[in-house]
Amino acid sequence: MSSLAKASSRAEEDEVEDLVARLAATEEALAEEVRRSRALNRIAEAIGAGHDAETLVQTVVDGGVELTGAQFGAFFYKVVDEVGESFMLYSLSGAPRSAFEAFPMPRSTAVFAPTFNGEGVVRSDDITQDPRHGRNPPHHGMPEGHLPVRSYLAVPVITRQGAVLGGLFFGHPQPARFGTRAESLAVGLAAQAAVAIESVRTHEAAHAELVQRRVAEERLKFALESGRLGSWELDVETRAYLASDICKANYGRGPDDDFGFADLVASVHPDDRQRMTTAIEDAIRHGADYDIEYRVCTPGGDVRWVQARGRAAQTADHGGARRMAGVSLDVTERKRAEERQKLLVNELNHRVKNTLVSVQSIASQTLRTTDTPAAFRDAFEGRIMALSHTHDLLTQQNWEGASLREIFDFELEAFAARDRIVFDYARDVQLSPKATVALGMAIHELATNALKYGALSVPGGAVGVAWGPEPEEGSDGARLRLTWTERGGPPVVPPSRHGFGARLLEKGLAGELSAQVALAYDSLGLVCTMRLPIRALEP
Amino acid sequence: MKTLAALKVLVVEDEALVSMLVEDMLSDLGCIVVGPAAELEEALRLASGADIDAALLDVNLGGRPIFPVADALKERGVPFAFASGYGEAGLSEGHKGATVLQKPFREADLRKVLEGLAAQIA
Repeated sequence: MSSLAKASSRAEEDEVEDLVARLAATEEALAEEVRRSRALNRIAEAIGAGHDAETLVQTVVDGGVELTGAQFGAFFYKVVDEVGESFMLYSLSGAPRSAFEAFPMPRSTAVFAPTFNGEGVVRSDDITQDPRHGRNPPHHGMPEGHLPVRSYLAVPVITRQGAVLGGLFFGHPQPARFGTRAESLAVGLAAQAAVAIESVRTHEAAHAELVQRRVAEERLKFALESGRLGSWELDVETRAYLASDICKANYGRGPDDDFGFADLVASVHPDDRQRMTTAIEDAIRHGADYDIEYRVCTPGGDVRWVQARGRAAQTADHGGARRMAGVSLDVTERKRAEERQKLLVNELNHRVKNTLVSVQSIASQTLRTTDTPAAFRDAFEGRIMALSHTHDLLTQQNWEGASLREIFDFELEAFAARDRIVFDYARDVQLSPKATVALGMAIHELATNALKYGALSVPGGAVGVAWGPEPEEGSDGARLRLTWTERGGPPVVPPSRHGFGARLLEKGLAGELSAQVALAYDSLGLVCTMRLPIRALEP
Repeated sequence: MKTLAALKVLVVEDEALVSMLVEDMLSDLGCIVVGPAAELEEALRLASGADIDAALLDVNLGGRPIFPVADALKERGVPFAFASGYGEAGLSEGHKGATVLQKPFREADLRKVLEGLAAQIA
C-alpha cells in the first residue's frame, strides 16, 4: 500500500471515527431528548390525573431533577405569617427530607429574594462565588451541613394573576451544570406547575367548602332537633305552608298529618288568633320581625304555649315579600315556670306582709303587758326569736311543715333548762306550716313562763310534755291531746293580769287551730292541756 | 250613719297574732268584736246570722278564699272591707273595687276604713 493510499485510508478512518462519534453524540442527544420528553409526559399525565397537591408537586420536582440533570430538587411554597414572608419545604427530590430539617425556613435573602418576589430566574454556575451569596447573618451563606450546592437554578412559580405560589429550586455539587436549556425547561415546568397547583387548590377549596356546608347543615339539623325547634316556611301569595316534623309536633300533629296554613291559624287559641294573624301580616307588609308567643289547642285537647319567630324575605322585583320562614318552639314549660314564679313571688310578698303584721301584733301586745322598757325588750326579742326559729324550721323543711317534736327542739334549742323538759309520746305527729307557726309561738310562751315564774324557775322543778290521741272523738273528728305539766316549782296562783302568753294559748291558738286550750293553775304547778283537732294540724 | 262607738264588727282572720292585734285595735276604737272567726264555716254562719254592723275580712282563710262570706254580707247589706297582704291584686273579679285594708296597717288606717263602712249604714 502506497503512502498516499495509507494517508487516504487514515483520512477515511478519521472521518469514520468522527462519524461514529457524531452518531454516538446524536444518539445520546436523541436519548436525552427522549428521556426529557418522557419526563415531560409523566409530569403532564400527573397534572391531568387530578392528584392531590402533594403528589402533584412531588412529580413536578422529580421530573424537574430529571429534566435539568440536577442532583437535588425542591419545591418551597410561600407562606405569609406575622413574622413576614418565608418559604416552606414542600417536596424534595434527590436528598432525604432530614437534610433540611435542621435549618430554619429560607428567608428573603439576596439569593432568594428574586424567587420569593417572583422577579425571575436565578441561575448560577457556582452560587458560592455569586456576589449575592453569603451576605446575610447569621449563616453568611449556606448553613453548615447544608447540601453541597454549587450549580444553582431557582424559578418562581407564579399564577397567571401574578401571585407567587412558591419556587422550584435545583442544585448540583459540581459547578456549571445548568445551561440555558435547563433554564428554559425549568421555566416551562414552573408555569405548568403553577396552573396545576392552582387548579388543585381551587378543587380542594371547593371540596372543603362543600364538606363544611354539609357539616353546618348537619349541625343546624342537630341543633333544631335537640332544641326541639321546628322550622316552617310560608309562601306569601299562595299561603302554602310547609312545616317540619318537630314544627308539626309543637301543634300536636304527627309527621304524616296534613298541616296547612288554615290548620295553623285554626289551632291557635281564639283569644290569641287575632294577635297572631296581625303579626304575620305586619311581617309580610312591613318586614317587621315576627316574634310571638301564643296558646295552641292541640287536637288531643291540650293547651300549649308555642313561640314562633320568623322573617319575611323581601324581594325587590316583586315589590314585597314572596316567602316567610322561621322556627317554632314549644314553650309550655317555660310559661308554666313563669306562672309558678309569679305565684311564688306573690305568695312570698303575702307571707312577708303577714309576718310584718305578726311582728306588729307581738310588739303591740308586749307593750301592753310589760311595765318597763327593759322588760319590753326582753320579752319582745324572745318572741321575735321564737318566730324566727319557726321560720328556720319551716325553711329547712321546704315549708311543707314539721313534726311536733321538731318544733319543741327548735324552740327550746337555746333554752338553758332544756334537759329538765321530759317527753312522753308514742308517735311523733306531722304538722302543717300554719300549725307549726302557731304551736311554735305557744311553746315559746309556755317555756318562757316556766323559766320566769314556774317549775323551771327553781332548781328542782321539771316539765313533762306528753301527747297522744284523745280517747273521745270530738264533733270535728279525731283529736290530739297535748299536755304541758309543771312539777316541783313554787306554788302557782292564777295571774292577776291576763298576759300575752295566756291570751295566745287560750284564745289565739284556740281560734286558729279550732282547739280547746285549758290552763290549770294547779297548786303543784301549771298544767296546760290542748285538745287539737287532727284535721287542723295535718299538712 | 253610725259612729264607731259600740259598732259591732265581725272579724274573720285565721292567724291568731293578727286577729289579736285587730281585736285590740277595735277595742281601742270603741267597737265590739264579733268573732273572730278563723274558719270559713264559722265565718259564713256569723256573716249570715249574727247581729253585726260591719265586717273586716282576711282574704285568704287557711288557703280558702273568703269571697262566699263577702257575698253573704252583700246579700244582707252589711258593709265590709278586706284586709290583705296581697292588696287589691288578691281580689276576685266580683269584688274588684271593694275597700281593701293593706296589711300591715296602723290603727288610724283601720279607723278610716271603719268610718267609711259606718257611713254606709242607713
